Parts: sequence; C-alpha cells; structure tokens
Amino acid sequence: MRLPPKQGEWIDRNHPLRFRFEGRDYDGCAGDTIASALAANGVKVLGRSFKYHRPRGLMSVANHDVNAVMQWGGMPNVRADATPLVAGMDLTAVNTFGGVDKDKARILGWFSRFLPVGFYYKAFHSKRLFPLWEKMFRMTTGLGKVDFATPHLRTPKRYGFCDVLVIGAGTSGLSAALAAAEQGADVAIVDENAKPGGSTHGASELVARVVAHPRVRVITDTYAAGYYTDHWVPLIERGRMTKMRARAVVVASGGYEQPAVFRNNDLPGIMLASGAQRLIRRWSVKPAQRIVLLAANADAYLAAEDFLAAGIEIAAVVDLRDVVPEAQKSALAARRIPVHAGDCILEAIPTADGNSVASVRTKSGEITCDGVFVSVGWAPAAPLLYQAGTKMRYDDSVHQFVPEKLPDGAFACGRVNGIHTARSLDGERAGSAAAAHCGFGVDRAIFVPAETESPTHPWPIVAHPQGKNFLDFDEDLQVADLENAIQEGFDNIELMKRYSTVGMGPSQGKHSNMNALRVLARCTGSTPGEVGTTTARPFFHPVPMSHLAGRGFAPERRTPMHARHEAAGAVWMSAGVWQRPEYYAVSGQSRLDCIRGEADAVRNGVGLIDVGTLGKLEIRGPQAAEFLERVYISKYAGLKVGMTRYAVMCDESGVVIDDGVVARLAEDHFYFTTTTSGAALIYRELSRWNTIWKLDCGIVNLTGAMAAMNLAGPKAKAVLAGLTDVDLSLPYLAVREGMVCGVSARLMRVGFVGEWGVEIHVPFEHGAAVWDALMAAGKSAGIRPFGVEAQRLLRLEKGHIIIGQDTDGLTTPGEAALDWAVKLDKPFFVGQRSLQAIARKPRRQQLVGFMLPAEHTAEAPKECHLVIEDGEIAGRVTSIAWSPSLSRYIGLAYVRSDMATADRKFHIRLTGGTLVAARVAKTPFYDPENLRQKESA
Amino acid sequence: MSVQFQDLSTTPRAGVKGPGAAEWLKQLGLPVPDVPNTWLPLGGALGGGLIARLGNTEFLVEGPESVKLAAPISHGVYPVLRQDTALVLKGARLNDLLLETCSVNFLAINRTTRPALLTSIVGVGVTAIPDGDELRLWCDSTYGEWFLDTLRTIAAELA
Amino acid sequence: MKIMTCPINGPRAITEFAYGGEIRPMPDPAAASDDQWADYVFNRNGAPGVKQEWWCHTPSNTWFVAERDTERDAILRTYLYTGEA
Repeated sequence: MRLPPKQGEWIDRNHPLRFRFEGRDYDGCAGDTIASALAANGVKVLGRSFKYHRPRGLMSVANHDVNAVMQWGGMPNVRADATPLVAGMDLTAVNTFGGVDKDKARILGWFSRFLPVGFYYKAFHSKRLFPLWEKMFRMTTGLGKVDFATPHLRTPKRYGFCDVLVIGAGTSGLSAALAAAEQGADVAIVDENAKPGGSTHGASELVARVVAHPRVRVITDTYAAGYYTDHWVPLIERGRMTKMRARAVVVASGGYEQPAVFRNNDLPGIMLASGAQRLIRRWSVKPAQRIVLLAANADAYLAAEDFLAAGIEIAAVVDLRDVVPEAQKSALAARRIPVHAGDCILEAIPTADGNSVASVRTKSGEITCDGVFVSVGWAPAAPLLYQAGTKMRYDDSVHQFVPEKLPDGAFACGRVNGIHTARSLDGERAGSAAAAHCGFGVDRAIFVPAETESPTHPWPIVAHPQGKNFLDFDEDLQVADLENAIQEGFDNIELMKRYSTVGMGPSQGKHSNMNALRVLARCTGSTPGEVGTTTARPFFHPVPMSHLAGRGFAPERRTPMHARHEAAGAVWMSAGVWQRPEYYAVSGQSRLDCIRGEADAVRNGVGLIDVGTLGKLEIRGPQAAEFLERVYISKYAGLKVGMTRYAVMCDESGVVIDDGVVARLAEDHFYFTTTTSGAALIYRELSRWNTIWKLDCGIVNLTGAMAAMNLAGPKAKAVLAGLTDVDLSLPYLAVREGMVCGVSARLMRVGFVGEWGVEIHVPFEHGAAVWDALMAAGKSAGIRPFGVEAQRLLRLEKGHIIIGQDTDGLTTPGEAALDWAVKLDKPFFVGQRSLQAIARKPRRQQLVGFMLPAEHTAEAPKECHLVIEDGEIAGRVTSIAWSPSLSRYIGLAYVRSDMATADRKFHIRLTGGTLVAARVAKTPFYDPENLRQKESA
Repeated sequence: MSVQFQDLSTTPRAGVKGPGAAEWLKQLGLPVPDVPNTWLPLGGALGGGLIARLGNTEFLVEGPESVKLAAPISHGVYPVLRQDTALVLKGARLNDLLLETCSVNFLAINRTTRPALLTSIVGVGVTAIPDGDELRLWCDSTYGEWFLDTLRTIAAELA
Repeated sequence: MKIMTCPINGPRAITEFAYGGEIRPMPDPAAASDDQWADYVFNRNGAPGVKQEWWCHTPSNTWFVAERDTERDAILRTYLYTGEA
C-alpha cells in the first residue's frame, strides 16, 4: 500500500500511470519502478522460480535478484526492480504455465527429490529419448520469449573523458567525488539509480553539495558495466553507451545485502531490510503490516526506525548474535518490541494458498507476520575491482573480502572496501588519493577507523531436514544441492560453481556467491579466504545488444570516377574497402553477356577500366634502386629510365605476397604499383624495412592521391592520339611523363589484358575529367567501360596470375610459374635465403594452364574444385572461365609437379562428385606470342 | 545547425617530407614550425594559409605559398602530392560529434601551442588542427565522400 | 582499451596502432644453415616476459619500439628505433 506523501519521495503523484500485469490493471506514478508500483498495489507474487516454479516476490529491490522478471510485448527479461514504470505497460511474468498465480509447472516442486543438483548429467541414459526431454526442458525452463521480428536497433556510442571517475553515488562515493573535485580534478560520478544518494535515497546535504560543484558531473540511471585496461569503463544508460576514459577510478559500488538461508526463505513477503527501506523511502510504499526483523548487525536497528516511521508493526527482532549491543536495541526496547538474541528463523510458514509468508518459527516459538525483513550482512560489490586487477583478501573482522592490493590508479571506498560505519570519511580518503594520483593536490592520507564489530554474520544459514532453504534464488539451489555437489567431488569453488550452477544465473551470484563460499569452506574444513572466489567477468548487468552494436563504422573508398561508373550502370562489388564496378549493366542482357561484351570491346575495339584502387608508391633518393633491389625478387638497379618491369614481392619465408609494376622515372626516382588489397600493408612494411636499413631514400604513398585508368584494345592508340603529347610509338613496357587531356600524367604501356594498352595515372582531382575526355574521344570507336569481371576474363586468356587467387599463403614463386622473375644472384633480397633452401627441395606442385574439351557444355568446375589423380587429391583449380576468344573453358590450376607436362590429361571433381576431364595447356591461351600487346606503331 | 561543414578541398596545398625538408622549406622563405605536430599561420605578408609539421619530417603547406613547393628539390627532400578532402567544422554540437567519432579528447587540447594531430575519425586517418572553436580536417579523398556523409549523418542526429 | 604512447604523437587508443612482432635480429643469411634460417623465419618467442616490439602508429605511419611486459600486459616504455638489433 502507498504511504502518505512525504518530502523527497521519488514518485510524482500528479502523474498517475496505468499499467497491466498478468492481465490485471493497476495504477502507479511517474517515478515508480515496476516493482514499486506493484508493491504499492499490494501484489506479492511477481514471478515463478526457475526450476520448481515456486511463487516469488520482491527480495533485494536492487536488481541483485531476478525474482521479478517480466515480458513486455516483444521485450524479454525486463527487470522489475530496475525498470521505470511507463504508461500502458502490459507485463507478464516469464517462465509460467497459466500465469503467475496458477502456474501449472509448480507441480515440479513435488518432484524436487528427483531433480537434485546435476541430475541432468545422470538421468538421460537413453539417447533415443533425449529429443523428447530436450523439448520438455526448453518449454519448462528459460526466461522470456524472443521476438524474432524485433527491429534491429543500434544506439550511438560515444567517448567520455574525466580525471577521476567515481563509480557509485552513495555516501562514500559522493564524499570521494567532492574531495577529488576540491583538489581540482574533473570528476564524473555515476550511479545506476535514478537519483544519487545511495542509502540516503536522494536527500542529503552531501548530495546537494556534489550536484552543485562545477567540477563534478553527476550521471544517474547509468551503470558501469566493466573495468577495462587503462581505466576504460563503459557506462550504460538507457539509450547509449559512453566509453569513459578516466585517469583514476574510485570504486564506491557498495555492497550487496545478503539473504539469510532458512526453510522457505523464498516466500513472497520475505525481503532484505535495505529493499524494504527503499520501497518506503523512495516510493512511499508500505511493504507489509507486521514483520519479523531478522538481524545480525547495527544496520538492522537503523532500518527498524524507517519501518516504525512507516507504521509497520515489528512483532519481534530475531538476532543471530548471542549479544546485542545496548545502544542498538535501546530504541526498540523502549517501545517494548521483543529482541531475541542468539536466535534464528528455523523456517517460514506459508499462507494456505502457499503464496506468501504467514508466520515464522524461531527457537523461541512461532511468530505471525506478513513480512520478514532480513539484515544479516553484506558482500562487497567487487566485480569491477577484480576486473581492474585488484588482489582481494578475506577479512575476518568484517567477514567479507576486501581489497588487499589495488592496481595503480584504482581506489576503493565504503562497503566494498570493508568500511561500513565511516563511509563518508573513507570516501574522502579515496577521493583525495585519486585526485593526487592525477596530479591534483596532495594525498591527504586520511586515517579511517576500522569497524568495531562485524556488520556481516559469518554463517546466516540454518539447516533443515526438509530442505527448501534457498541459497541461490535464480537457480533454485538449496543448501543440500551444494553439499551434494561437494560430496560428489566437485569440492573446489570453480567445480562447485559449474556443477551446481550457483552464481551462474542472471544475478551472477550477487546474492548467492558469498553464502555458497561459506558452505564450501565449512564442508571442506577450510576458510573462505582459502576457498577463494570465481572470476568476475563483465558485464555487471546485462547490456542490450543495441548498445554493443552501436553505430559501426565501415569506411568505404571510392575513385574519383565513381559517379561516372554509377551513371554508366555499374553493378558494384566490394574489393576490400573499395567500391569497384563488377560490370556495367546493359538493359536486356544477362550478367555474363555484359561481361563478355565488355571483353569483346577490349579485344576488337577499345575499352577503358578504372584501376585507381591499385596501390601506388613513389620512392626517391640516391639509394632508391638499392631499396627496390632488396624488397623485390627481380633486379631493378639496371632498369633503364623510361622503362617498367613486372615486380613480385616475397616475405621472409619466400612466399609470394604481392605483385605490381616498377617504373623508373629517373636515376633516383621510381613509381611502383601494388595490388589493391596489399597497398596499405606494403607501404607500412616497406617503411619498417627502411627504418632498419636507413637507406638514403624516401617512400611516399600516393594510392589515394592518384587516379589511374587502363585504355586497351586495337583501337586504343587511335583514341589516345590527339589527347596527349606523348609519342605513342613508345616501346612495350615503357613509361612516359607528359600531358594527357591537358593534365600532367604518367603513362605506362602495359600488357595485363593482352591488347595494346596504356595505364594513365593522373592526380585524383583530374581523374573524372580525363575519364570523360577519353570516353568522348572513343565514342566513334565504340569505346566501352569495362569492369573487374571482364578484366579477370581477359587476363585469364593470357594466363596472367592474380595474387591471392592463383597464389595462397604458402605459394612460392616457382610454384606459381614465376621462376624467371627470381634473381638469386642479387646480394640480398627479402625471401632470398628461404628461396635458396626451397630450391634444393623437390617441388610438390606447379601452377599450369588447362583447358576443358571444346565440346564441354555441361556443368564446369569452379575455383577450388580439386584435381583428383588415382583417387587422391593432386591439386586444385584457382581460376576458370569460358573464353569467348577460344570458345572453350580455360583456367589455371595447381597440379602435382610430375603432372605439369604439356597436354597431360587430368580430372577435376565437381561438388557432386562428377569428374570432369581437362588437359594441361601452355599459356598464354590467347595470342601465345603476345603480339597484340607488344605491337608497335 | 548543430555542426556546419565547409569544404576547402580546392584550396591549393602541397606537401613534402624527408630529412632535408625543414631546411629546404626555410630556404624557400617559409617559416617552419620547430616542434613536431604543430602548425603556424601564414598570414599577412605571406598571403594567408598555414604550414603544419606532421610528425618529425613531413610538412603540409596550404594557401598561396604552396606554389613555392614546386621548386627543384634537393637531397633528402621528397615531394608529397596532396589531394585531400579538406573540411572546416564548427558549431554548437561539434564536440559532441567528435565524442561519437574519435577517441582523442579534443576538449583537453591546449590550443595555444597550435597542435596538429594525426589520428583517426570514424576509422579514417585524418590530420586535425583545432583553431579556436573550429576544427580543420584533412583526409584521403578516396575516403572523402563516405567520411563527409558519415559525419553529416551523425551531425543531423545531434541537431 | 589499452593506451599506447607513440614517441612522436603521444598517448592514443591502441586501435590507432599496428603490431609488427618482436624485434628479432636477422642472422647473416650467407652464414646461417637452413635450420638456423628456418628457426629465424618460422619460430617466435612465446614465453611471457619483457619484449622489445615493433609497433606502428598507422595514421602517421610512425614505426617505433615498445618495451612491453607481456605477462603483466604493461607497456614499460616506447622509443624510436635507433639501430640496435
């Protein structure tokens, strides 16, 4: 029920919100969470447990348990504790059959004897029946339903920067933020709750001072999902992730209040004292009428004040401690509320319908109540500390793990640091130290007194012969489940966790790991410190996929002729990060017809292809030639000025990694090309080599600065004549600098596609204009732009290899028929020594040209289909296409060296198993004498 | 508008690098920044523009003075053809745009030392010069269209 | 995300860098046996510990050396290569 309005409440009663849960309508207020709104309406059963489908209600009210997990339309696993109420919400509990009140699957509770821990490892001996069991499991377990039609959302990510990041805006965090800011640091303080203040629930002078401070950013409704290297912390808010880089981090994340373990401790109405306080102080909700307070620390008695102020009757306090300090219980004693020291709750007794608590049985007797509030201790919220690399130790004086050694730049304060009473002072200490670490002010090295009594009970666990004393509410694990696991031999923390699944549910052990650890320690006769903890991994709470997807950046490169290709009907393909025309679509023609048409234009007329994606590098200096001698396998020192030469690059193991053309523009000036995909890597690697060799030369990467196009075909020379001052009788493989279409250009006679052709390189800004001029000049000759696929076909007819297609990660030059390019007599080149060793070994495979019979019109092999000889793999196809020039299928393939003889017949196996006959053929297939590309004026 | 984009790609510019570059530029009569990754304005008598030292031994000269770099080179001087997409960004949401696109903290940069940065924005290598509340950017023109499209899309969302 | 400090460009996110492998002296190709040469080409030091490594700041194409403790994932210092093996 809702309490009367009070100052500082988080709800706005002027904005009522109507919502639906399990088919019934309720009213809440703006500022409510789903949990608080349902509690205000007196709804006690909010969900059904994972395995036994027992009724569950609010427990931590802090998102440290998932008793209340709901489906909201297409959104699964909405956590009631942590989700603001929205008007019109229509919610159902997950994992029920027939609704949360009458869940038919609660029958599983009766079979619990047959469903002990790990039963699924032992029960299903018959593989035949397993599909049936699997289907049943999938139906009865699992949380929420995924809607596969849900739109794929992305939320923008952004970076954030600060000097000191404080995680947690409770008392210690706020103090830390203030101390750091006062010393001059730029502070960001983040808290997952809607308002800062922690257990002060928003209202305090400290909050006001922090919010007002000019150097502090207060970020609420946001949680730190993990602690990554160099103080990199992702902050998750509802619509976005901020990747915060801090110079120092103060972890003030507080503690998880821990449940007590006794029979039926999971009944709705039994909750943590801090959870009840939240409901009262934040949302003005009275969670029960008459309670038993299960206590073991000073926090319980402070909480009692809040309960009494809300008009809750405290039937009795059951304190686990043998002696309760006078100062703590005096206020209750004055009101004649019985305090039973040295007592405990043996079991909770449900109402007739089994849906909530009716009474508890203690050592002193049975006490009726409709709620039990539990305050027996804390576990540190330490995952971020672990992820930062903190070494933790178990401190017997506070019965919790505390930081022993923090990494540089990471600080901890408050409950997570084992300080529960002097939290504010501890925060000040940490904030000052953090600011000083960043160079702001001096570390005040404040002394913080330790706790005089432990705020945490070392064994809040009561055994019961009939069990149902739950330790992990997510996984429905009872104490006996852990004891059984340990007894079966899973007796260290890692094994026990995985076999029992304790801590593996959605809460990831926030409310269960510590008690599980205590059970393991007692069963194995060791201490919690010796038992240790398992690894805490990101994320602290689940992070939506939309936040992780963010806005991906996949940069795209385009040549300056891009718009021309688009206008000419280009069908685009990606070549790495580049966009290239695969072919140009002609209305009414198939893809293959278009490609063959483009190839035909090059063979019989003139074609123009944009090759601007090629890597283009320039090297100058007295030792430029020496450098090229060392990085390529062929010789360039003697290359004449004005000539080009094919260039192959190997790595240190002798494997072919790139090819291109080297052009000598002057004695000390070369311009050379690389493959499209190799450009950036080659430039980087060549730069590294010269960092080591320190040759007198410099390399410039002109890949993006130069446009390049290849004009080719028997009519190409005629088209170009009149557009350039370069003498077009230049010899095959020559390079000239001159004017083309009024622009300063480099012209190289090349032979890649097997016709008379020149590659024209101009600065990027002139690429489109030169393209236009060539297309205009070639119009009467029927010029056609041609794309990547036509080029691949044309070069295949010449038997020219493509690095990365006709070579792979292990191909050496000899295997790729490039023996002629290797000059082992040079003083040194990269890969030389390996090639010398390789030359002494028998060659296992050889790249050869091959043809299928001219009459082969059936299904043809594809790249990577295997060559089969005597039932064994003897090679593979690397390139294959139907050649319009030869009217048959041609290709390149690796075959066993002994098979690489002229006209040798072999077989290629298609995917279905059919063997296709082929024979080795000399290359070039087309114009074997290379007369057409070498043709002179 | 949250962020305004001005395209200065056609402004004349030229680049040079190498161990002899600094001395060569001085002999051409240009002021040369001493400190790597800083820039100097070429204002007044020199006609506007800037000279930036990119790292230790590379220089970008923008503005009318850039024609000087067509002079004959000497030993250890390597011309760098510049065909950049060059932009000026400014506006109320410029810093928010940068927070979504670049891992460098632009707000923390001390502009009085006239720094020039070589970094990456939306995955594209850029040269960046903060100038007052404006940001000058240069990137490879083959990335230029995608780069500008992407920044405009984000700027539009921030509006 | 780790921060690497380029000696010329200062501290940057690790995504601005490319790793070039541990600096390994090349044996004299003329003097090395096939086995010694293969060891240089194919084998790497996988043991955790302090290593001198090639790193490149890709936006500026700056190659430098990082002294990195691969056991503790700590970058001890970065410096420009001066020619020692």
